[in-house]
Amino acid sequence: MFFYYVDLAWRSIKKTPVLSLLMVLAISIGIGITITTLNVYKMMSFNPAGERSDELNAVQLWSQGPDSWDELNSLVTYQDAMNLRNNTLPKRQAAMFRTGMALQTEDVNFAPILESIRVTDSDFFKLFDVPFLYGNVWDKSVDTEPAYQVVINDKLNQKLFAGQNSVGKVIYLNRKPYQVVGVIKAWDPKPKYYDPTNGAFNDTEQIFVPFSLTPIEEFDVWGNTSGWKFETMNSYSDRLNSEKVWLLYWVELPNKDAVTSYRSWLSNYVAEQKALGRFTDKKSAADSVKVSDVATWLEYNHVVPEDNKILVGLSALFLSVCLVNILGLILTKFLKRAPEVGVRRAIGASRAQIFAQYMVEVGMIGLLGGLLGLAWAYASLYGLSAQFEVSKGLTHLSASMWIITPSIAVGTALLAGLYPAWVVCRTKPSVYLKSQ
Amino acid sequence: MLHIKPILSSLLRSKSGPVLLLIQIILSVAIVANASFIIQERLALMQRVSGVEESEVLTFSLFNFDPLIDKTAQNKIDQQILRGLPNVIDATSTNMLPLSGGGWSSTFNLGPDPDSAKSTPQFAMYLGTDHTLETLGLKLIEGRNFYPHELKDNLDSPSRLAIISSALAKAIWPDESPLGKVLYEGKDAQITVIGVVEKLQGAWIDSSSLENSVIQNVDYGSSSYMVRAKPEFHAELKDAIKKALLAENPNRVLDGFKSIEALKDSSYRDHKLMITVLIMMVVLLLLITSLGLTGMVMFNIQRRTKQIGTRRALGAKKRDIVSYFLVENYLICLAGGVLGGLLAIQLGQQLMKIYSLPMLDLSYPLFTVAGLFIVTTLAVYLPARKAANISPATATRSV
Amino acid sequence: MLSMKSVSKVFKTDLVETHALRDFNLEVNEGEFVAVTGPSGSGKTTFLNIAGLLEGFTHGDYFLDGINVSNLSDNKSAAIRNEKIGFIFQGFNLIPDLNLAENIEVPLRYRGFNAKERQRRVQQALEQVGLASRLKHFPTQLSGGQQQRVAIARALAGEPRFLLADEPTGNLDSLMARQVMELLENINQAGTTIIMVTHDPELARRAQRNIQIVDGQVCDFTMYQPHGSVQTAASHPLDKLVANAD
Repeated sequence: MFFYYVDLAWRSIKKTPVLSLLMVLAISIGIGITITTLNVYKMMSFNPAGERSDELNAVQLWSQGPDSWDELNSLVTYQDAMNLRNNTLPKRQAAMFRTGMALQTEDVNFAPILESIRVTDSDFFKLFDVPFLYGNVWDKSVDTEPAYQVVINDKLNQKLFAGQNSVGKVIYLNRKPYQVVGVIKAWDPKPKYYDPTNGAFNDTEQIFVPFSLTPIEEFDVWGNTSGWKFETMNSYSDRLNSEKVWLLYWVELPNKDAVTSYRSWLSNYVAEQKALGRFTDKKSAADSVKVSDVATWLEYNHVVPEDNKILVGLSALFLSVCLVNILGLILTKFLKRAPEVGVRRAIGASRAQIFAQYMVEVGMIGLLGGLLGLAWAYASLYGLSAQFEVSKGLTHLSASMWIITPSIAVGTALLAGLYPAWVVCRTKPSVYLKSQ
Repeated sequence: MLHIKPILSSLLRSKSGPVLLLIQIILSVAIVANASFIIQERLALMQRVSGVEESEVLTFSLFNFDPLIDKTAQNKIDQQILRGLPNVIDATSTNMLPLSGGGWSSTFNLGPDPDSAKSTPQFAMYLGTDHTLETLGLKLIEGRNFYPHELKDNLDSPSRLAIISSALAKAIWPDESPLGKVLYEGKDAQITVIGVVEKLQGAWIDSSSLENSVIQNVDYGSSSYMVRAKPEFHAELKDAIKKALLAENPNRVLDGFKSIEALKDSSYRDHKLMITVLIMMVVLLLLITSLGLTGMVMFNIQRRTKQIGTRRALGAKKRDIVSYFLVENYLICLAGGVLGGLLAIQLGQQLMKIYSLPMLDLSYPLFTVAGLFIVTTLAVYLPARKAANISPATATRSV
Repeated sequence: MLSMKSVSKVFKTDLVETHALRDFNLEVNEGEFVAVTGPSGSGKTTFLNIAGLLEGFTHGDYFLDGINVSNLSDNKSAAIRNEKIGFIFQGFNLIPDLNLAENIEVPLRYRGFNAKERQRRVQQALEQVGLASRLKHFPTQLSGGQQQRVAIARALAGEPRFLLADEPTGNLDSLMARQVMELLENINQAGTTIIMVTHDPELARRAQRNIQIVDGQVCDFTMYQPHGSVQTAASHPLDKLVANAD
């Protein structure tokens, strides 16, 4: 019976091409706008940690004094990071920040390039599931006994070493030699959840160096450094000893118990620091610590801009206008065909069968609208990315949209068709049989 | 001559058509009013004056990686080289770039004791030279520029000078001249205000303290530079700068050549994107509403062909038929406008609560309704003209 | 076959109550050809709509083929229409978008026959009305008489127990009308009960039995024996009016 309805629906659509086109256009425009905004929203609100979202936790501390910041900062001080690193409770942990250095190779003709670099601990790669192509991360001992070792990504390896296994080779950063110990495969989580403070949709760094080199090499900080009080900053050691926050700190806590015990360890730590004269705000030690899983962390850092949420809301309203619009058009169309319904009813079609026939027809219009809407969305995403240099990751039509779009379109159409189909299946057949 | 009563009662008796139209208009008014309000607000943001000669200032970053380099001396040499290049009006080192989205932000105290003194509002902290005003094209409205001999090499110096933006000056000293006033940084450093520029924006366009800026006499250098030249020379200047500075010292990377205009553009990109999408929405919404309206009026006319014929037979002029449909439309629009306006305000309040948007101005729903009147008049007028051409003879023909 | 007892139908508006049928009694036997006449507005169409289960009624009982159809659900009455009743209309009411075969197929679709069975019945029905060669034509390509024959084929395809015809020749010229009438008579002779509403006394006379509806009641009847078969009042003991008139 379904295919009979499909056949009838197709005939009916073909019979009133202008009206059908209007309906398909109305749905497709509504869908196009909704999918465009929804796609960007989905891409932005994506949680790249997946199943590991609960296990990966960012640490935040209320280290500021009274009457200064009224929010937790996403970053922590160097002193705190170093103290946290001494704790062995977390399964894995890493401090990190972004720097930049001039990159050179042994090839003298290679013009130096300025590269953005992540300074971090060896656990970083296991924490964030970074896949290795060659070699491995530097040894864990390097986290305490600094060594000039480096991990680079595949893309850079292609550029510098023609994609060969470059483990053991040397690159120069600010003219210092670093030995390559590992090459990672393409890895570019969007949003860049391990550090959303430097632009949540920036590309991942291509070079990773040990955090333990920081006090020796005095790496520039290519990120935010925030202070809540004035401190003289004449040397790098001033920075290291200051109350300024500029580091991210991640821990891996495999379960709820681990989170609880880590949290209580943290508040003990804050209590100790309070006794030493730091953490001077009135807040209790327990309230001064925050351990956020990835989902909470992304939310806290406003990775999805409010504008985008507004647009999703407005486009949902827009879609509802389209819905009301096609509801009117469908009603018009169906009422015109009431005589035919009369005949069918007389011949023995039940109300349910008439209803089903018309729902199939609107469903089909919805499907056509959805397909066209998908094309609109594709085009508008393409246009937006060309016009506004929006990150490709955000304007790429997500695979799930191939299912979501037709579902929303058909759902919308069915919703709009509900009332007209109901009206038309309720009409008394006898009324339409007599007169022509 | 407008017979509103019979039209109204016929509207009230017919069920779904007008109701659908009403819902559509209510939703449209709510959306369009809020969308155009946001558009207007963003446009106003984008039209703010930065105080800088945006198109003329070319900026770039310079990264020295020679460990043996004397950065302070090199910075001075580099600036001399930049100022000596052809077509360059002026050039200076800086610690941050206006409207770039990244930079330094700080507060000072109004008294020497950091624990008791009031602090200034947040401001963008520029470190510059005696060439900064000329390079950025800032307008000095009070006081004077730095003298070359007053320049410091770093922030260690306990007594420094400052030129501040008039917005900041007004915020700190609403009734007094800021000249000669002293600001304090921590316990030791004192900063004396020697000049006021009419306008200088900071780096973060969405910051509430965008207009508050301080330039200090610190030739910080060695990271960012600004060069002023007519825009048509920028392309060749870029090559000339690279060549000259690398010839001076090859152990450095020069990068990120951009005019402040370009920096501003990318800072405002999200707002532009928002405006574009919203305009798209408003236009399409009006299009869809008017198409739907036309379709519905056409259907109504078809259904009432006989009635219209009868009216014509009874002596209605063509004009009367057209005005019948128009009045019917206006009644729906009016009701939709009032309800939609209320919904728009409600929606605006929700947006305001959740997304810290400012209060929706009442004029927006009003303008939207006015716009709808015009659009729907067109959408109704065309099919209604056709209806008016229905022959009175239709009435006498039996169906 | 068909039995209505004290059936009445009242239309109510805010102002007036209209009695379309009042205390309507009728008994039709299997194999009968009944012509229903009456002035316009008398309730003929209401009677036909109720008989065909297109409309409900206010009071009384209605048995069709032994089944009480007084308060059936929509699904059940649709199924009965589909299986037991064939409709023929004055305006033919063929669906213009469908070709002849597809038009005739409509009731078979709703009954859930498979493609093969549908095809067989369509072919058979079209042969019965003499249009077997026009399978793929569309209704608008046919003359009125041909269209009506297709409509009859559609009614026959479901092999119904009885046909309800509403002015079946009303839109036809006399030659075509005669052909259609003859077709109906043949169908009747093959065993199908027919109730035909008409205002043409000429046609009515060709039916075995005539009923006149005036003001929603059966008020007169005449019996004809056009083909010599004897039909007496005694064979309708339940039909009070028939007995009275005798």
